[in-house]
Amino acid sequence: MPIRVNLDKILVDRRMSLTELADRVGVTIVNLSILKTGKARAVRFSTLDALCRELDCQPGDILHFVPGPPDDPGEDGPG
Amino acid sequence: MRTLGPGSIASLLKIALDVAYAALWAALVLIVFAAAAGLLALPFVANSASNVLQFDGSLNGHKTDLATLLHRWPMLLAAAVAVAAYVGVLLVIFFRLRQVFTTLIMGDPFRPENVGRLRIVGLALIALEVVGYVVRMALAWALPERGDSVDFSVNLSGWFAILVVFVLAEVFREGARLRRDAELTI
Repeated sequence: MPIRVNLDKILVDRRMSLTELADRVGVTIVNLSILKTGKARAVRFSTLDALCRELDCQPGDILHFVPGPPDDPGEDGPG
Repeated sequence: MRTLGPGSIASLLKIALDVAYAALWAALVLIVFAAAAGLLALPFVANSASNVLQFDGSLNGHKTDLATLLHRWPMLLAAAVAVAAYVGVLLVIFFRLRQVFTTLIMGDPFRPENVGRLRIVGLALIALEVVGYVVRMALAWALPERGDSVDFSVNLSGWFAILVVFVLAEVFREGARLRRDAELTI
């Protein structure tokens, strides 16, 4: 996927665990893990807002665009 | 009354499907049993019938019918096989519909498995139309006394329903995709 999620690095910088972030943001740890591992399909603005607020960062610090082939929609994709 | 979830219209329909499914199994077993019993009893009944024909010169219509039917046993067997195939296809449809309705009762209709199930129902409905023609032809062939003429007219509502099922399957595919997207939206 061309969009990389840098949650790992920010968490290390902030010395915060994923569980703590999940508690603060109000997202389940399972969903936060999906986001951290880059398996998420989309991020709500409300989630991004909460993440940036709690991590004291900008959306661009969390998400990075890396040129590459587009994501394969897989067998459950359209068409 | 709710249409989805426990205690809804979907659960009532699921009960109706369960009853129909059990009845179809009973009908299939009955047909197979009757065909097998007919085949096994054929030599004995055929002998007694030919004796009746031999000794009784003034046969009434009933006896003649029995003898004619016995001479026509391969056709009757073919008709039984065709009817059994028809019931078998109905069983496939009801089995898959029960699976779909189980997901409706759980309140989660857009499961990816339902796409395949609906497509199978659509294919089975096509088979049902085709087997229906074969059954009518076989019955008209085996029992011409019934006076049934073989009707090859196209059942428009049936074929329309088949197309609707295939379109619904694609709707469910799109629903499953959106469900997956929603699951992976954080």
